[in-house]
Amino acid sequence: MTLRAWLPALLSLPGVMIFTLFCLLPLVAVLAGAFEGGGSAFGRLFADPVFWNGLQGTLLLGTLAPLFSLVVGTAVAMALARFAPRMRMAALVAVSLPLTFSGLIIAYGFILLLGRSGVIPQLLAGLGLDPAVTGAFIYSPAGLGLAYSYYLVPRVVLIMLPAIRGFEANQIAAARSLGAGPLRAFAEVMLPQIVPSLIAAFALCAAVAIGAYGTALALVGTQINILPLVLYSRISEGTSDLPAAAAASLILVAICTAVVALAEVFRPAARS
Amino acid sequence: MALQFDQVSYRYPGSIQGVTDISLKIGDGELVALIGASGSGKSTLLRLLCGFAAPDRGQVRIDGEDVSPAPPERRKLGVVFQDYALFPHMRLWENVAYPLKVRGMARDARQTRACEMLARVGMAGREQDRPDLLSGGQRQRVALARALVFGPRGLLLDEPLSALDAGLRAEMRDEIQRVQRQAGIATLLVTHDQEEALSIADRVAVMRDGRIVQIATPHEVYDRPAEAWVAAFVGQSNLWPGTVAASGRVETALGPFTCDTGPRPKGERVTLLVRPERVIPGAGPINGLTGTATADRFLGPVRRLDLSVPGGTVKVETHLPGLVRDITIPPDAIRLLPAEASLSTAV
Repeated sequence: MTLRAWLPALLSLPGVMIFTLFCLLPLVAVLAGAFEGGGSAFGRLFADPVFWNGLQGTLLLGTLAPLFSLVVGTAVAMALARFAPRMRMAALVAVSLPLTFSGLIIAYGFILLLGRSGVIPQLLAGLGLDPAVTGAFIYSPAGLGLAYSYYLVPRVVLIMLPAIRGFEANQIAAARSLGAGPLRAFAEVMLPQIVPSLIAAFALCAAVAIGAYGTALALVGTQINILPLVLYSRISEGTSDLPAAAAASLILVAICTAVVALAEVFRPAARS
Repeated sequence: MALQFDQVSYRYPGSIQGVTDISLKIGDGELVALIGASGSGKSTLLRLLCGFAAPDRGQVRIDGEDVSPAPPERRKLGVVFQDYALFPHMRLWENVAYPLKVRGMARDARQTRACEMLARVGMAGREQDRPDLLSGGQRQRVALARALVFGPRGLLLDEPLSALDAGLRAEMRDEIQRVQRQAGIATLLVTHDQEEALSIADRVAVMRDGRIVQIATPHEVYDRPAEAWVAAFVGQSNLWPGTVAASGRVETALGPFTCDTGPRPKGERVTLLVRPERVIPGAGPINGLTGTATADRFLGPVRRLDLSVPGGTVKVETHLPGLVRDITIPPDAIRLLPAEASLSTAV
């Protein structure tokens, strides 16, 4: 065989190795670990109220933070779509910046801004508001959702902007001239055409929010019950139950996969 | 039902672009074409009439009612956009039925009405299709049906034919006229295509730099343009600066011409307009010129020649074959217009 024939295989070799080493093997290990002892790990997990609380917290956070980000991100994308090209590029770079930060940095940023001795609670203290109260917000589930939105919003913007720019704005003008008010024109004419992208953006954000744990850990430690933190504590604490941790991570992977699969289902519609 | 601009002025925020002191009334069943170069303010007038902009001064009236503060959805005007703006996620009948849906008509009733309207524009049998399956001309028909189905008080057409092939354009032009006549509705047609305007409009309004410089019937705009710029914009023209030398006689760089000077005093500066098709090949008793053709374009039904004569160039249109050297300009083919400071601004 000539080099030309082997080239594609050679070029894909690093990718295959990385995929095998860091995705396939761990998955197999987790799978094996979870079912070690004939699946009794699942039994122990399901019997534990901490797991159910974590699942509930994860589903709540994984729904509400993406929904909030979807609203904010879509509004931002609609504004960006009206910018002149140069301004839009500059704004897009600024909007995308949070994506390059690690979850830890984001957490510390939020603590500096909104924590008990943070800038905003201290400013609010001047208005007579107790920093112990206002500064507690960022450590609450809602505060965590806000921190998550910090890096979910850019993802929404990046997905929604092409869809919104591809939308022919004259259709809104046409709908208005035909008798629809601005809200109705948006809901009946624009919304149906960007729904596939909205679903894709939601699914991606949900997958990210469900799986993320760095920000949560740094912000709230293990005080808030979400699945990634349940998993973390199973591994890190002295009484580590590795099979149960493997079972929990399998469930986490299953939820994320289901959500991403949903996005894939809707993607072809977004292209047409 | 009449559409009316009453001394309307509008400036785009932070710009000098806009329209100034526009007064124009489109009567019931009348089709007025608004023509002008791009940037002349045609689209601004349309936006003001649709309700996408509010005049700084003056009023926009529909049936005498001042609608200046009303948003587009309350104006009850049918608009056909340049790119048709059909809703791609709706079937054709749903597109046409949309204004009826907004007005709360029941589904069956509006489907029946929409299908009737589609049949009227020659789109029967395509009710269940989606817009992306249609050709440009078909989209145009659906957009027209959608704009008329709800009995609007006026019809606005924004460059409706610019996206179509030349052949289809003539066909759709007749179609628009037919449907408009049938609906008997006041119509404003915005176009940069003077042929389109001349062929279907009852009256033509010519815009230049945000002002209407002439409103008249197509014949009048062509034969008696208000100024040299209009003559240059509408159709082909020869425009020469000249001075009235005596009653019935005008001096130009091409030599003296005999023509009707009317009451103009001796010494008045004028612009002579001669349409190329009025120039007669062959020598004649008066207003004869001799030159050589520098360009000879065969356009099918006519030949368009540039004849270089001492002092200038004469555009000649003829259907006759053969060499052209001598030409005659009949006195009644010459129209005197006000002197234009710079003819170079003419298109």
